[in-house]
Amino acid sequence: MNKKIKVIIVDDEKLARDIIKTYLAKYDTIQIVAECSNGFEALKQINELKPDLIFLDIQMPKISGFEMLELLEDPPIIIFTTAFDNYAIKAFEVNAIDYLLKPFSEERFDDSIQKAMNLLNNKNESNKKLEALSRTLEQKVEFLERVVIKQNQKIIIIPVSEIKFIEAQDDYVMIYTSKGNYLKEKTMKYFEEYLNPQNFIRIHRSYIANISCIKQIELYEKESYKIILDDSTKLPVSKTGFQKIKELIR
Amino acid sequence: MINPFVKNKKLFTIYLITWFSIFLLHTIILNWFLSININSALIDSIIFNGLYLLLGISIWYPVNYNTLDIYSTSKIFINHIAAAFISTGFWIIAGFYLTKNILIEDKIYIVFLNKSLVWRLIIGIMYYSIITAIDYVIIYYNNFQEKLIREAELKALIKEAELKSLKYQINPHFIFNSLNSINALIINNPQKAQEMTVKLSSFLRNTLSKNEHQKNKLEDEINYSKLYLDIEKIRFEDKFDFIEEIDPECKNVMIPSMILQPLFENAIKHGVYESLEKIIIKLKCLKTDEYFKIIVENNYDPEAVPRRGEGIGIKNIQNRLKLIYNQDNLLSVEKSNNIFRVNIYIPI
Repeated sequence: MNKKIKVIIVDDEKLARDIIKTYLAKYDTIQIVAECSNGFEALKQINELKPDLIFLDIQMPKISGFEMLELLEDPPIIIFTTAFDNYAIKAFEVNAIDYLLKPFSEERFDDSIQKAMNLLNNKNESNKKLEALSRTLEQKVEFLERVVIKQNQKIIIIPVSEIKFIEAQDDYVMIYTSKGNYLKEKTMKYFEEYLNPQNFIRIHRSYIANISCIKQIELYEKESYKIILDDSTKLPVSKTGFQKIKELIR
Repeated sequence: MINPFVKNKKLFTIYLITWFSIFLLHTIILNWFLSININSALIDSIIFNGLYLLLGISIWYPVNYNTLDIYSTSKIFINHIAAAFISTGFWIIAGFYLTKNILIEDKIYIVFLNKSLVWRLIIGIMYYSIITAIDYVIIYYNNFQEKLIREAELKALIKEAELKSLKYQINPHFIFNSLNSINALIINNPQKAQEMTVKLSSFLRNTLSKNEHQKNKLEDEINYSKLYLDIEKIRFEDKFDFIEEIDPECKNVMIPSMILQPLFENAIKHGVYESLEKIIIKLKCLKTDEYFKIIVENNYDPEAVPRRGEGIGIKNIQNRLKLIYNQDNLLSVEKSNNIFRVNIYIPI
């Protein structure tokens, strides 16, 4: 291997970045190309410098590590570093190759680096084992609280409570809020799974509605219904959607 | 408060039985000793005692509004003397005209009635005094009971607060991140690592031992909170500053333990953790006529979208203050011009 591995460290605490730097010092095949103290900065640097590997903290100001990843088009290899142990499953879902719990030992850190190097040397050998493992783990879905959207250069964070409804648009969904509509590259299935069903209901193949925004249900034609939202938007309701609403009311 | 004679069936029964005995006694005295014929004696007794039975229930209200926590003793005394004369006056006038109209034929009785007015005034005032005294006993008994219940509640709440604060302060996120910082410092700055280890240990020890006591000096609470702030300062360096503006008079004021640190933790969580800019955390304390006012404020990023868990710590502090001082308005939260401010009032 003649090219150095480019690494970016993302953490809002300098000391946390320092320890990673210290542990990395002995690897002469690794080059730290940037250090970032928040998600915005990291986003910019990753897109510019195209690192091979990032060390990523989860809890950071404004946007979390996960939210930042969602906005990356071609994410590098990720090693999470965090004091929380409850994100491990989610970490595997976003294809992280490792999850370092702070504080971590140098041995544990070296293991991670080894894994990353193996993966870089043999790109085709993907992380299937871990993926398989994470699937066998009992999945506890943590519902979404916020949705991040990249619009040109701007990053918009929407609390899910502000979402009125979501509409399917090919490979994207359109998210409607009182402040505007936003396009996001995710599937309806994703939102159906990750939005709390106590607040959101899939009323149609193409629509998920915020229950608190539903004002009334109207008979449209024979056996076909529409719901009216509080801003008087009308959305179609499928048969199964109608069943779900009926159960909800009961 | 509703009249206990009406609210409580048992008390009401006792009240009625007492009046019935008085009524019998009254009739007997008039008939046997004062030679009033039985018919007139009965009517006199029914009217006068019946009227006072009703009047006695209404005495509850002046008693209830004349308590020591609102008025001084002399004021209460004067109020009751006035009330005694006024109510007895009404009682005699009403009784007098009623009996006179009904028993106009009984000449002996009418003579007796005219002569008895002074006696009736004395009896009326005596009734008033007895009922008032009983009412006060009931009020103080009720208050005492309430106080017992409140104390039990307070104890339960403190226990809960202890548990919660333990969970909060020994927040694993905070500890593991601090340990991670120490880990980094051991290599690069051993002296600072040592300093941070000692601070973290003191903070944890304080948190664990402190819960027994209910109140602490403000100064001690500040020192304890500073351990926490110092640790966060090592982690976040220049991301926040802490400023103190304390009236010297405030330093020794006793405040419920563990009410400051959660506020600082809040400021760090919602201010420092969520912002890219520098955060200023200010602690002020000033003395007014009635209160020591403690203010914890910080600026915050208005665009930060909250994650979760806001206000539980503050709610908890509010509940404790309410139970300890029996006052509802001792904590207020203001949010203006990107400043988040919590005001705490400690009654003097």
